Amino acid sequence: MEYNAFASLAHFRILLLPVGSISRNTFDQWATEIRTLENLRLSDIPPGTKDEKARFMPSPKSKGYLHLCFPTHPPSSSHFGMSLFRPSHFPLGVIGIASCSQTDSLSSITAEFNAAVKDLFPPDCLYPLAKSCFVFEEGDGTTNLNLGDHLPGLVIIPSMMGNKKENIETLLADLCSNILAEFSTVTSTLESSLGNEHLNGSLFPSLPSAADFPIPLVDEEPESFLRLPSHNSQPDLSLGLIRRGTSPMLGAKRNPSSLVGQPAGSMRQSSLGPPTARKRQTLIGAASSHGRLFKVLGDFFLLAGRTEDASVWYTEAVALFKTSNDPVWYASALEGLATVALVEASGLGFNAPVNTGKEPWGDISEKLEQAIALYAKPGPLSESDQRFDLLAYIYTVAILRQGFLLFSTWAAKGWGPLAFTVLMHPGPGPYVLPTLSHPDSHLPSNHDRLSSISGVTRPQMAAVISQAHGPWLLHLGHRERMVILESIAYLYSSLGYRRKEVYILREVVGCIMDLVVCAREKAEPAFSSGITVNGTGSGDSGAVAVKGIERSTGNESVLKLVKHICDVHGINLEAVRFVDTANQGTEKEGGVPQDTNSDDLLEDPYGWPELQIGIIREALSVAEALPDPPSVAQFSLSALKALHTVLGDDDQYYMYNASSEALTAAKRRGETRVIDFWSGRPVISIELIQPPLSRSLVENPISVLARRKSEAAGRLPQMTDPFLYNPRKSVATRGNTLVVTDEPLEFVLTLYNPFVFDLEIQSLSLSTSGVPFDTKPISMTVPACSYHPVTLSGTPLEDGILVIKGYHVQAPRGAPREFLLPQATADEEDHRSRRQSLAACESGRTKYSGLDSRPGKSGKRISSFVSSSSSRRTIPKFLECTVVPEQPLLRIRWSSLTHSAVMLYNGEGSTLRLTLENVSSLPIDFLRLSFDDSTMAPARAALTEGDLSVYDVYETEYQLINQPVFSWDREREDTEIPRGRKVTITVTCTGKVGCTSGCIFISYGYLRRPQSNLSRPSETFHTRQVSYPVIVTVYHMLECHNMDIFPLVVGDYEAEKTPENRSQALFNDVEEEGWCLFTIDVRNTYGLPFEVTLERVQKGVAPASTNCTVAPGAMKRMILPLKKIQLPEAVTSQAIPMLSDRQFVVEKTKLSLEEDKLQRELFWYREELFKSVHGHWREAGGSRSGELSFREQQMTLPMLEILRTESTNIHLELFRRGTEADEERIPILRTGGTYYPAPYEFVYLRMRIANISLQPLVLTADTIVDPADHAIQEGATSGLPIGRLESGAERELETPLCFVACGRFRVHVEARAISATARDAKVGVATLKATVREDNPR
Amino acid sequence: MSHHLFLLSPSDTPLYSLTHFSAKASQVAPSALSANLPAWSTSAFAGTLTALSGASSVVQTSAQGGGVRMGGGQDRHVIQMIANASLDVIEDVVRRDNGMYLKSVDKFNEWTVSAFVTPGNMKFVLLHEGKNDEGIRAFFAEVWELYVKTMMNPFHTAHRMIGSAVFDGRVRASAKKHL
Repeated sequence: MEYNAFASLAHFRILLLPVGSISRNTFDQWATEIRTLENLRLSDIPPGTKDEKARFMPSPKSKGYLHLCFPTHPPSSSHFGMSLFRPSHFPLGVIGIASCSQTDSLSSITAEFNAAVKDLFPPDCLYPLAKSCFVFEEGDGTTNLNLGDHLPGLVIIPSMMGNKKENIETLLADLCSNILAEFSTVTSTLESSLGNEHLNGSLFPSLPSAADFPIPLVDEEPESFLRLPSHNSQPDLSLGLIRRGTSPMLGAKRNPSSLVGQPAGSMRQSSLGPPTARKRQTLIGAASSHGRLFKVLGDFFLLAGRTEDASVWYTEAVALFKTSNDPVWYASALEGLATVALVEASGLGFNAPVNTGKEPWGDISEKLEQAIALYAKPGPLSESDQRFDLLAYIYTVAILRQGFLLFSTWAAKGWGPLAFTVLMHPGPGPYVLPTLSHPDSHLPSNHDRLSSISGVTRPQMAAVISQAHGPWLLHLGHRERMVILESIAYLYSSLGYRRKEVYILREVVGCIMDLVVCAREKAEPAFSSGITVNGTGSGDSGAVAVKGIERSTGNESVLKLVKHICDVHGINLEAVRFVDTANQGTEKEGGVPQDTNSDDLLEDPYGWPELQIGIIREALSVAEALPDPPSVAQFSLSALKALHTVLGDDDQYYMYNASSEALTAAKRRGETRVIDFWSGRPVISIELIQPPLSRSLVENPISVLARRKSEAAGRLPQMTDPFLYNPRKSVATRGNTLVVTDEPLEFVLTLYNPFVFDLEIQSLSLSTSGVPFDTKPISMTVPACSYHPVTLSGTPLEDGILVIKGYHVQAPRGAPREFLLPQATADEEDHRSRRQSLAACESGRTKYSGLDSRPGKSGKRISSFVSSSSSRRTIPKFLECTVVPEQPLLRIRWSSLTHSAVMLYNGEGSTLRLTLENVSSLPIDFLRLSFDDSTMAPARAALTEGDLSVYDVYETEYQLINQPVFSWDREREDTEIPRGRKVTITVTCTGKVGCTSGCIFISYGYLRRPQSNLSRPSETFHTRQVSYPVIVTVYHMLECHNMDIFPLVVGDYEAEKTPENRSQALFNDVEEEGWCLFTIDVRNTYGLPFEVTLERVQKGVAPASTNCTVAPGAMKRMILPLKKIQLPEAVTSQAIPMLSDRQFVVEKTKLSLEEDKLQRELFWYREELFKSVHGHWREAGGSRSGELSFREQQMTLPMLEILRTESTNIHLELFRRGTEADEERIPILRTGGTYYPAPYEFVYLRMRIANISLQPLVLTADTIVDPADHAIQEGATSGLPIGRLESGAERELETPLCFVACGRFRVHVEARAISATARDAKVGVATLKATVREDNPR
Repeated sequence: MSHHLFLLSPSDTPLYSLTHFSAKASQVAPSALSANLPAWSTSAFAGTLTALSGASSVVQTSAQGGGVRMGGGQDRHVIQMIANASLDVIEDVVRRDNGMYLKSVDKFNEWTVSAFVTPGNMKFVLLHEGKNDEGIRAFFAEVWELYVKTMMNPFHTAHRMIGSAVFDGRVRASAKKHL
């Protein structure tokens, strides 16, 4: 693609044309060779004849150059209108390049060459002025060279020739010489008055052809009349004839170079022009000033490298144009002047005079500005002059000229040799200056530096360039438009104005695509699906040219443009990549981890959504029109992936359909690449479905087997952890899930489809590592905009560790892709949430703005902290399962319960039987039962809450351990079940009020597996569990109230000795002292009578029992004599025990030492009491029986004191003595416990005080007679010293006593221990009853 | 005469846009070069090209018989493209120019682009045809004030579209007053 070089006005164009059967490579090679000759020294050009033709010939001593330029494309045919206006636009000469081999005949080459030239240039065209054909000899030079002499314009360059370049240079010089000679011919034609009229006839005149001459100009211009016949007779040689008739008037100017010293002369000449011109206006109707002629002369001199002459002629022309109204030509002359200035400056090189006041290029720029302004307002145009295409073209070219001037100055760091080089010879392609090609060149700082050095700012350049863009571009031909648009895009791009560049590029793409589409429509009959655009060109030469210019890579280049456009708008069209099926394996490793955590970050949106959508649509239609199905698919899927949040529903549907159709088409066309999976990360979570309870496994340490002993010792098994908070416990419970070899596993995958269409997934499977896992991929459809769970199942084939790394997913006609999905551990979640909050924190701020903030650019918006912390991450943790060897399976075959419900009375014992069947092929050698019931959970909860008193804690724990609803005597049962066998186990049930349901858990396993080798036995074993829920109904029927203990005085009962008192027998054993009476009220709240039995089991006393029938609704008091209990202090001083191994909790209640002691005594005596007394009940007339629990009953301090044996035993006795002071004791009549002494008689009270406690006591005794008024005592009544009594020792005291009235008396004796505290003092009490009557025997 | 206002976030996302038609006649005559444009192709791509080059508005003008140009039919997509493209120049100028108001910073097709860059790097871009420097300056100042008030809403984040009806109403009123 040729670019409009700044100095194109000074370029001497010579078209290179391939001739004959030359191959493209050979042509390119020779063309490159020729192109190296950019400058041709004027002095090298052979001077022609010294006649008129030598007018433009350089003098041998002149210093300038011909600036050669070798395009390979002929100008557009529509541009031939400019042939006189802008000769530099056309190839002045044509060089045919042929290669001759044996087969080619030189004559045919010549003929072909001539035909080609004729084909390219219309017959009435001025150009080319000269032509020549270079035949490069191929091979070893066996072609017959002598033929060359006969064929004019044919030069053979033998392959043996050493310095071809020099030869070519000489040949070129000859050609140029010919062309320069032709210049003279053309000018001489124009210089004729007819020629001049023609020149001024229209805006874009052409050289008058022969047919134009019959105009009757005879009156004024006889010369032209004379010329007329010759034209008619020899039309083809018109040029040659016309030059003869040069106007004598202008003859003085023929060789201006000779007049250089006297410009005043030429000025004078030009001043003569206008009057003549005015005269002719009436005839032709156009301004016939010589301005245009002078301008053409200027053009030719400029081309001929004679800048001084050119400058002179241009100045003349400008002077004329200033007064006349011919803006376009005026502007063109200004452009010429600007070019002259540049050429002169570049010729001077470093010696260029530096104007200090103004930038040296300012003058040029000003001229161009003026020219642009003139071009923009071409003035009133007549109908025939409306060559808008040409006007628009020269206008835009002028703007680009200025744009390149500024740009080159800017990029070359100012006005200097580098800038000159770029401006003069930019080369065939876009020339990138070193200032813009180093790596940092795109930085604004570099641009600023260039601006400050050169004094040209970027906005200034942009303002100039943007003038070129406008609706008038539509006037241009395809090729010109593309050249211009591309130049604009190139300039914007070099300036770093990406968005503007992209704007223009969209137009370029539109242009190309329009051609593609139009060409296809033309060539429709021949067009078959699958032909790429490069091949369609045969119909339309324009299309071929365009495609060829577009670096001949065809579709790919167009798509590259489209991708670039999208990239600048923040759309990554390659977000979804192609995977080549061949090297898929290697690529996967690097590809997967990088986007593991990219999706969940909320990035700020970049770009302009409306524009993005429009551009995406356009990109798609480009790819569809090309047609390039893989790109269609890639674009649409990338757009869906990246932009689905802003795309509308219709767009999404359309793109999805387009992609699937395109993928089908691509496959049909044999596309080997497949599209990568595109829809982000479809699976959000993978979870293992827990197997049903009956199949779930529990891992137990082997040590559990040994620990059964302690459990049997009556501890709460669940309370084994001594710590309330145990951090390790949670870790332990979070261990791997246990699964069993050869048993199917199920995973739930949650998929998310963010799109508005149903997302089809061709295959979805788990990606695992570790033990082999047998799983099948599934295909499915995820509904639009929803989360969708699917279940995948598989079977682990060996035991070991199974790691579920992630999943493989494949879209229809896409490549499978593996995604890793780390488990959402707390760490991971924490990390993610921290990242998200950081991102959220930063979301409002922008570090990079504009294009730098595009996603995926080096300046990422997520701060480095986030990325560094993410790189610091540990290895992701995946879902892991421990696969254990095969396990047996048990099921409950039969149970003795109907509907698994059991109905019990409170305290009733019952049994239920379960028949278990081993349905697996493995034997079961381990069987354990554990139980749960509805009372356990609240009790445990109360315990863990810890608000209970020590006493209540004990009670609750006692209930849990000693009164379970279910129990199992494992010693009695079989624990081995061979495979396929059945076994029946028996479970004992006890009714407990408040229990509504329960559950029997049967854990079993296969422990004693045959070990294949001497490997260490594993430290764990696995059990499974079957559970059997039981509905329990417990009827509450007997209530106990008012437990009490009374002192038992034997005599009291004698009066009640009635035959019907059945409990009489109970008292048979009762001794006089050391007994007490246990009573309790039993109420029947149920509808049936119950028989209640109280049983006494005491050491040293014969067992006894009492029973009665409690009718429904009735309450009975039951009485049982008990022997008093004595507990050693060592027992009572113990703290209330804990039945669980709970962590010790400091008591909250602050009891004093004594209170504490009392509480302990109460506790221990109560325990002892319950050991001694048992209650049973029996259904009256039925078989059901059970226990009656008294544990709810409270024990009070008075009860304790009665129950407890005193520490001293006081035995009281009344007797008399004989009359004489004999020692004989006469017993007093005694019945039951009552003495019958006579009144007014001295009796003696003997106290025998024994220390039955375990330590020695120092005692005193008090005697109290009640009523004291009617009895006389001798001596002290209180504080009788007894002295120290060792343990077990006893002492007797006697004190005389006289009852002075009849009646009932009671004599109390209290023993007091002398010790520090008062409370301890009373250690024994005894009471003696006496009934004093007159008639008592004496 | 129409005006197009865009409030662009630092990531080039429009947070608010407004098209305002003022009663004033356009002062800029279409270029003489863009008369009699050929309808040279009917393909969709040609349509894109026509629109992007700015020809569609001209064609419409001739269809309506010249005179007052109505902006209503102008291709919104192209307007947005121009506004987006002008960011290049705005970004460039902002780095050298300390002022917030960038008067006629860019020209493209028939549009002149004026911009106002807030200290927070929000860019207010106004596409207009005529020359109305003082009016635009006043307009921008008011829009800025309104924008700041909107941003002070604690529930409004920096990159969200401004959907406030109050904001919209006031900007419209301001446009009516100044443009």
